[in-house]
Amino acid sequence: MRFRAKIVDLGCLNHFTRVSNTISKLAKTCTLRLSPDKLYFILSDKVANGGVSMWCELGQGNFFDEFQMEGVAADHNEIYLELTPENLSRALKTAQNAKTVKIKLTNKHCPCLTVAVELPSLSSSSRIVTHDIPVGVIPRKLWTDFREPTVPDFDVSIYLPVLKTMKSVVERMKNISNHVVIEANLKGEMNLKIETDLVCITTHFKDLGNPLWASEDASQDRDSENMAEARIDIKKLLQFLAGQQVNPTKALCNIVHNRIVHFILLHEDVSLQYFIPALS
Amino acid sequence: MAGSLGVGPARKEREAQGASEHARGVVARAEEVFLGRDPGLCSEIPDRTLEKMNCEMGGHQVKVFGRAIHALARISEELWLDPTERGLALRSVNSCRSAYASVLFPTSFFQLYQWSATLQICDSNMPLHLKCKLGMKSVLPIFRCLNILERNVEKCSIFTSANTCRVIFQLFCKHGIIKTHNLSFQESEPLQAVFAKNMCPNILKVQSRLLADIMIHFPLSQEEITLAVTPMKVCFKSYIEDEIDFAKCMYTEMHLDPDEFDYFQIGVDTEVTFCLKELRGLLAFSEATIAPVSIYFDLSGKPVAFSIDEMVLEATFVLATLADVQSSRSSPSSLCLSQRLKRSDLMKSKADAGDDLTNTEKESSTVRAASKRPSRHERQLDATELESFYVPAVKRLDTHIAEATENYQVYSKFCSLFFGAVSPKQHDFNHPWINLATVSDSEEDVSNGPLSQVF
Repeated sequence: MRFRAKIVDLGCLNHFTRVSNTISKLAKTCTLRLSPDKLYFILSDKVANGGVSMWCELGQGNFFDEFQMEGVAADHNEIYLELTPENLSRALKTAQNAKTVKIKLTNKHCPCLTVAVELPSLSSSSRIVTHDIPVGVIPRKLWTDFREPTVPDFDVSIYLPVLKTMKSVVERMKNISNHVVIEANLKGEMNLKIETDLVCITTHFKDLGNPLWASEDASQDRDSENMAEARIDIKKLLQFLAGQQVNPTKALCNIVHNRIVHFILLHEDVSLQYFIPALS
Repeated sequence: MAGSLGVGPARKEREAQGASEHARGVVARAEEVFLGRDPGLCSEIPDRTLEKMNCEMGGHQVKVFGRAIHALARISEELWLDPTERGLALRSVNSCRSAYASVLFPTSFFQLYQWSATLQICDSNMPLHLKCKLGMKSVLPIFRCLNILERNVEKCSIFTSANTCRVIFQLFCKHGIIKTHNLSFQESEPLQAVFAKNMCPNILKVQSRLLADIMIHFPLSQEEITLAVTPMKVCFKSYIEDEIDFAKCMYTEMHLDPDEFDYFQIGVDTEVTFCLKELRGLLAFSEATIAPVSIYFDLSGKPVAFSIDEMVLEATFVLATLADVQSSRSSPSSLCLSQRLKRSDLMKSKADAGDDLTNTEKESSTVRAASKRPSRHERQLDATELESFYVPAVKRLDTHIAEATENYQVYSKFCSLFFGAVSPKQHDFNHPWINLATVSDSEEDVSNGPLSQVF
């Protein structure tokens, strides 16, 4: 197994840093899957993380000037690593004016993802900072745990309002309730609702628009004003809204009535999917 | 052990009394206060024992002063105000005696600086310090929001009241508002780390900005870092205690070229490990000044000192370093050097100043042979300073932790610093800033030092 990659361009470095910051806000530990063209940050739904799962996919060509990898076997040319994204984001955060950043898989005291940063200095030679981030190599028999989630057979798909607005609404709601009901219909309307013994608050969003999906068979025969709803953990929703730093060009959400809410953020070559299960 | 540390220096003074002729007058007085352990007793102390201090500073100076308080607050819960002829010194020692910091504001820092020492008649004619220990918790709130203080405070005056154990901080703000803080203090002899900068074979001088740039690469959760040097390379790296932790913690290493340092003198290849928390305090403080930070260090186990030396203030932070017993034994070159230093320690404790002087000079010159750029630092080796280096060894008041000298099974541990009283001896007023070095290096050292105590 071998992996080495290099970032030279500051814009790419900044972009990659923002992605890793986002991941570190959403997951304590996650799986980094490396393939010849793409990188994936994966959080699979386990009870430990409240049933939440995440799938973030980025094309390596958009970020790296060099990208070499050699997987376990020729027919399985991939590497799966368990990683604390916080460490990666911290290593990158202090590298913002770097001349080059190299990321490679090393075996020091334990398997490590080594981030080597070359910083400009006052003298002729550069300052070199290396961070060894301990990783776990995930054996092949466990790879099936990290399959790409399929887009659920949703009842309603809707574009999200500006995430900042949504965040400030949810932030305030969090002080009152632990759960939020997110509901939407096919007329481009979405509501965020909290209910307690004392108060009931709803925020209405209008004219959001509904994306067109290739197979619309399920929602075709649906009454466009009929709301699909899911009650979810407000902390998980806020974590997603506050943590994302990818400035998506497109943000949408799919709701499976009373089962799951599926968020998708798209930005150039990065896609981030986030699943929050509905509470009974 | 913890209890004995909590008692405070005055108690140790008492215990060292027999051997410490010079300090007798001081000790007797400290006892008066400490035996009762009742702050109320303070007011009954006769007037002659209290020296007066009165200083005033402007708005900008308040900010600098406040920054120093913030930096010292990272070290300890206690703060000594130590007015001297040269200026007002602030000192702090942490509870486990592994870190010491002092900041001296020279008289020129103040708009008004009055300090009078009354002559003590009983034993000798030495002037006595105001021994003023304050709780950090009560001082810190006065200087909480420095930016606001700088804007609003026109003048700040600090003075002691004549017959109560009180220090009064008065902030004269805009619109005629006067804030007065009365803090009662404990009378307690200020300590200072026994550390000779000029004995250190390794000296690095670095812009505080660069030092800050180095430290940002280490996570806030990182407790200790290691500084490793050779004449070719400087390396800062995270210190990870356990092999197992390598699988859990991120390990960071930063390499720097010697050219990046304003002054670079490596006499001995070494690795020292010290706490990052206290250093961060110094950095927050030095950020405001453009003055460079000098780092003085020796072999592992000997303390490391960070000092800022500029027109408006002098700051010194002395931190204990981890003694890596095994590595110093395995490496023959460092062993021979440490033995030599041990020998000089022993001689020092006998305080035979005349003989030692030449020895030490020789020693320091051999250590210095590898110096890359001998410069004004060489000056520090003049005879008077070496002399002052030895005098207080006579009445050295050693305080250190048992673990540091006894648990040799432990693979590595922090060596505690040695502390001496900020001497009331007249001689020292000429060099109040020269610290003296000894380290709890070996057990012989401890048993030979007549004043040492192992708690």
